[in-house]
Amino acid sequence: MELMFWWLVPPALVIAALAGLRAFRQDRHANARRRPVANADRLTALPEYQGALRRHRRWLVVAALAATTLLVSAVAAAARPVELTTIQPEQRNRDIMLCLDTSGSMSSADAAVVQVFAELAKEFDGERIGLTVFDSSAIQVFPLTDDYAYVQEQLTLAKDAFDGNPGSAGFLDGTWNGRGSSLIGDGLASCVNGFPDTAADARRAETGTTETGGQRRSRSIVLATDNYLSGDPIFTLEQASALAKERDVRVYALNPGDFDYGPGPGQPGARLRTAAEASGGAYHQLDSPDAVADIVHSVQENEATAMKGAPRAVVSDRPELPLALALLSGLVLAGASWRLRP
Amino acid sequence: MTSLLQRVKSKMAIFAHRKARGMLDGEYGSVFRGRSLDFDDLRAYIPGDDVRDIDWKASARFGSPLIKRYVAIRRQTVLLIADTGRGMAAESRDGETKKDIAVMAFGVVGYLAHRHGDVVGLVCGDANGTRSIPAKAGEPHLERLLREVDSSTSLDSGHSRIEGQLEYVARNVNGRFLLFVVSDEHAAGPDTEQLLRRLRAQHEVLWLTIRDADLAGEGHSGQDAFSVADSSMLPAQLAASPAVAAAYAKATGERDAARQAMLRRAGITQGHVTGSSAVMTELFALLERHRRAG
Repeated sequence: MELMFWWLVPPALVIAALAGLRAFRQDRHANARRRPVANADRLTALPEYQGALRRHRRWLVVAALAATTLLVSAVAAAARPVELTTIQPEQRNRDIMLCLDTSGSMSSADAAVVQVFAELAKEFDGERIGLTVFDSSAIQVFPLTDDYAYVQEQLTLAKDAFDGNPGSAGFLDGTWNGRGSSLIGDGLASCVNGFPDTAADARRAETGTTETGGQRRSRSIVLATDNYLSGDPIFTLEQASALAKERDVRVYALNPGDFDYGPGPGQPGARLRTAAEASGGAYHQLDSPDAVADIVHSVQENEATAMKGAPRAVVSDRPELPLALALLSGLVLAGASWRLRP
Repeated sequence: MTSLLQRVKSKMAIFAHRKARGMLDGEYGSVFRGRSLDFDDLRAYIPGDDVRDIDWKASARFGSPLIKRYVAIRRQTVLLIADTGRGMAAESRDGETKKDIAVMAFGVVGYLAHRHGDVVGLVCGDANGTRSIPAKAGEPHLERLLREVDSSTSLDSGHSRIEGQLEYVARNVNGRFLLFVVSDEHAAGPDTEQLLRRLRAQHEVLWLTIRDADLAGEGHSGQDAFSVADSSMLPAQLAASPAVAAAYAKATGERDAARQAMLRRAGITQGHVTGSSAVMTELFALLERHRRAG
């Protein structure tokens, strides 16, 4: 707590001292306005009068204290008490797209992912989240949004569908329109296209005005797939990954079924790892759906750390206490003055 | 400065016109006449003269009452006892300075005594000391006495203590005098009563009380006051409270009753005035009461 206009205090003290000196100086001519009376003990010896005098003096003391407090707190408030704090602004301007492969083998992992994000969405403040599901074709269940109630509702529906609960089968309608199954490259490309205004972003990147064009939002895709491709996709995984990199989207891949034989680069798990790491994201192998929560949290933390801004000193005015005190003492002073009125 | 005595005389003249001319003369004469066997002359009866002095035969011849006058064998000495402490510089009940009322009362009594041929002396002072001016005849002397009282009473004087002057008289004055005491509403105490009894045994005593200003209740002016004794302030708003006013009225009543009872027990004729306009009437009543009592 510091005083911004500290130089106000010495003049205020001097003025207060002068006023006090003037108020408390013995006024020799004060009795000139009063009538001289003799045998004042006729009145002053009365216990009633002494009681009234005591009450009168008590109110005078109250008034004097209130006036002093009012002065002090008014001077304190006028001197602008400020609080200097250093804060590290956490920018919560992330966009997260959930990109879930809905082929039969993935349902338990998908259920775990949507459950984790349904819980995370409760704490979101500024983040936007979207959900795209794909199998042979991609469906955007909901676009990037910060309507967290709607997000939770949709994620709960998605979890029901992945868990195979009755009456929820319609949720995944439309994901089998293409030929083949698990067209991962197409799914990932759809998700990348789900981020808004990518064309403008590209233009900005070309002209180098990224910094001036408002705040960039970090973009990440949580891609849950086993990368078992059957069919003929328009985008290969590598092309989709290159698209993501171009759009500055990080891909975090979750693979629940990494059954690679050996370290060869042609294996599905290795290809997915390469694609994810190429976009600046990471690859996580899921041994059980329970691990999804930990992985997603660690991804979240990584993203959050990456988005922390530089520490800044913040000066905030804190006039509440002196002003409240001034108000209170002003009220007390008014009451005492009313009580002391002649 | 106009003569203090002149002022007193003009007031007396107004009073005499209003009531009956010479009424006070008659009162004073019948109370403090010098009696002897040497007949002097007859004069017309004045209300207030003692009925015993009427010469009935001469009155019957003359057609209206006549008073026998004798050559006094002894002149009376009137001793004015004044409090010149700061208490007398305070306000009276009517708002006048009590000193002015006291000077008026002393002037009237002194002038009556002078007209009657008596000599007038003064004992005055405050708590710091008492001084006296020996009794003499003549208007200039009376004027001097009044000026002494007038000039030595101020807010810078010592504290008021009428007992000091009474003790001085008890110690230093021999012979039988007429004491005329003007005081204010001081508290009655056993010591004072003892002193008054002692004085009454030797002298004739007339006591005039000047009522002090009301400090609370109906008579209160609503103006702040200060005590002349210690310059402490008496805020009007405190005195205005009904509880204080009620207690004040009760306490004042008891105090007045105690003072009057003390004077009555001591055998002293007493009167009280609130302002200088009431001095004549009250002195007349006082002398009348004294004659009846004597």
